[in-house]
Amino acid sequence: MQKLQGIAVSPGVAIGEALVMDNEGFRIPRRFVARDAVVDELERLDKAVEAAAWEIARNRDAVARELGAQYGAIFEAHLQMLQDSRLHDELEEMIRQRHYSPEYAVSRTLRRYAQVFQRIESSYLAERANDIFDIEKRLLRHLLGHRREGIAHLTSPVLILAHNLTPSETANLDPKFARGFVTEVGGPGSHTAIVAEALGIPAVVGTGSFLSEVSGGDLVIIDGDKGLVILQPDEETLALYRHEAEENRTLAARLEPLRDLPAETLDGVHVDILGNIEFPYEVDHCVDRGADGVGLYRTEFLYLGSDTEPTEEIHFDAYSRVLNTMNGKPVTIRTFDMGADKMPNMPAMEDERNPCLGLRSIRLALRNLPLFRTQLRAALRASALGNLQIMFPLITTLLELRQAKMVLADVMEDLDEHGIAFNRDLPIGMMVEVPAAVMMLDRFVKEVDFLSIGTNDLVQYTLAVDRSNKDVVQLYNPADPAVLRLIKTSLDVALGANVPINMCGQMSGAPIYTMLLLGLGLRRFSATPAAIPEIKNLVRKVSIDQSKVVAAHAMNMENAREIKSYLTEEMNKALGKTRT
Amino acid sequence: MSEQKVSRSLVVTDPSGVHVRTATAIQAVARRSRSEIQVISACHKAKGTDIWDLLALAAPCGSTITLEAAGPDAGEVLDALAPIFTGDETVLLAALRKK
Repeated sequence: MQKLQGIAVSPGVAIGEALVMDNEGFRIPRRFVARDAVVDELERLDKAVEAAAWEIARNRDAVARELGAQYGAIFEAHLQMLQDSRLHDELEEMIRQRHYSPEYAVSRTLRRYAQVFQRIESSYLAERANDIFDIEKRLLRHLLGHRREGIAHLTSPVLILAHNLTPSETANLDPKFARGFVTEVGGPGSHTAIVAEALGIPAVVGTGSFLSEVSGGDLVIIDGDKGLVILQPDEETLALYRHEAEENRTLAARLEPLRDLPAETLDGVHVDILGNIEFPYEVDHCVDRGADGVGLYRTEFLYLGSDTEPTEEIHFDAYSRVLNTMNGKPVTIRTFDMGADKMPNMPAMEDERNPCLGLRSIRLALRNLPLFRTQLRAALRASALGNLQIMFPLITTLLELRQAKMVLADVMEDLDEHGIAFNRDLPIGMMVEVPAAVMMLDRFVKEVDFLSIGTNDLVQYTLAVDRSNKDVVQLYNPADPAVLRLIKTSLDVALGANVPINMCGQMSGAPIYTMLLLGLGLRRFSATPAAIPEIKNLVRKVSIDQSKVVAAHAMNMENAREIKSYLTEEMNKALGKTRT
Repeated sequence: MSEQKVSRSLVVTDPSGVHVRTATAIQAVARRSRSEIQVISACHKAKGTDIWDLLALAAPCGSTITLEAAGPDAGEVLDALAPIFTGDETVLLAALRKK
């Protein structure tokens, strides 16, 4: 058993078979073969060894000819390692006796050899492990041949363990079979994190390097609540997690009937609970959980899935699907919110040393008007089909907001000229996620129809913490009093000016903050669909008066940890849990 | 046929220690010989004909290893093996080339 600590990015527990993808997106397949296939599988292994040996010998001769015999000798060594009788016997035994697939046997055996070298404290030996991985890759390539597939064609439930997943890999996943993610790199803002949350499956990122120690088919537990990954768990740990997974299922089943009940506090105050989505199909998850609308429709996916810029029609099709399914309930489309690095066909920035503070989001939109206008045109056209709102991200100055609104007005005029229908009065809003916007909110409220607090970026910019950096991520804490004060200010200003205000960051989907936020005056929560029942459950168990007391108390405290434990305690009390 | 058992200790002077190509060279010599060969480092005892075993010797430059040979050509084999640990390329290549 081995435990790895990473960053928890999507809650829940998943137990299952590992699907390992190495740095090159190379998939190492399943563990077992059928009993009657053993002879065929052994033959397949022999053929692969033979082919790999031939290839190595050819390399050896070519290198020796071109660079000299001493360089060819390294391939001679690989050849000897590959053709070694002990390796062969060991592989044969695994396939014959334990019915392992040749791929699994190869990966398992060679990785074990490599580990021996990696453990020895000597850099020259650790590098030797690379020789072994090289042999492993060569053999796997011959074994898998044309069946070398990515993760787009899963056929059974797996937990995906990868160095990193590209946006298109994650976007093309079959959610039926992907039950959890672990990536060696990445942070809470990474695409993997967002997709995992969208799919409602547990995910842990930023574990550091560990893939050389697992093989496809190994049993793995992903604890998306604590950010833990457990490789080959022992019986006791497994039993513990099975129990927890079972409890979660029971809780979800218990919360299901809440779907059709109103989100109303004990003292009869109605609260709107909306869903955050990224993919159009997630709108079904919102409907299933009785969401009052889509509070945040992230549109980045449209840009990430392909190598070309999405056309107006692609935007329009996605938006229409969401609007039609929501059937008159509000849908808030946020215009693209990402850096140039993730845009297809856009040159990399020359001087982007600090991407979070760089050319991204609305800043990028205002510098690339054709791109921005395409999205706005599609959104405006879709506004004729339902209750659509447009929201601009990362607004920092009044000038930016005015510019964005001007572009929108210009696109409206254009549509008018062509006689294309759209909703002229559609609500226009902005994200409140930069401290500067909070400070200037009394001015902003005069120029928008609604606001939405984005806590993820607000926390990052307020506390000066890059949450994708595992060395400082522990400093990233939504419960920090400075963050809470900014949230309180935003709510006070918006409510005072009678401008509807929503919260769509991860904080609004975390039940420990629900009472605090209710107490501060928030009446519109937007969260990942999976979190909706839990938030609704809690809303129905508390009163506004009681929440105000909790909020007042929390706002008087001085450090994030104390605030968090106080809020946890109050939440458990409200839920009737005795656990502290 | 005379059965000999001989052993010799030596210091690894190859700047890279016992590396992949050294191991291959030792294996090549051991395979040609009619004696049983063991290579012993501080942490591991390896069979001369087993490449994976030899790779696990973990003997850096400056460490001491012991060679043991038992068989009719034991003495000759040790004479052939010892220079391999100096890292001399010509010795390594000669050991590999003789099939």
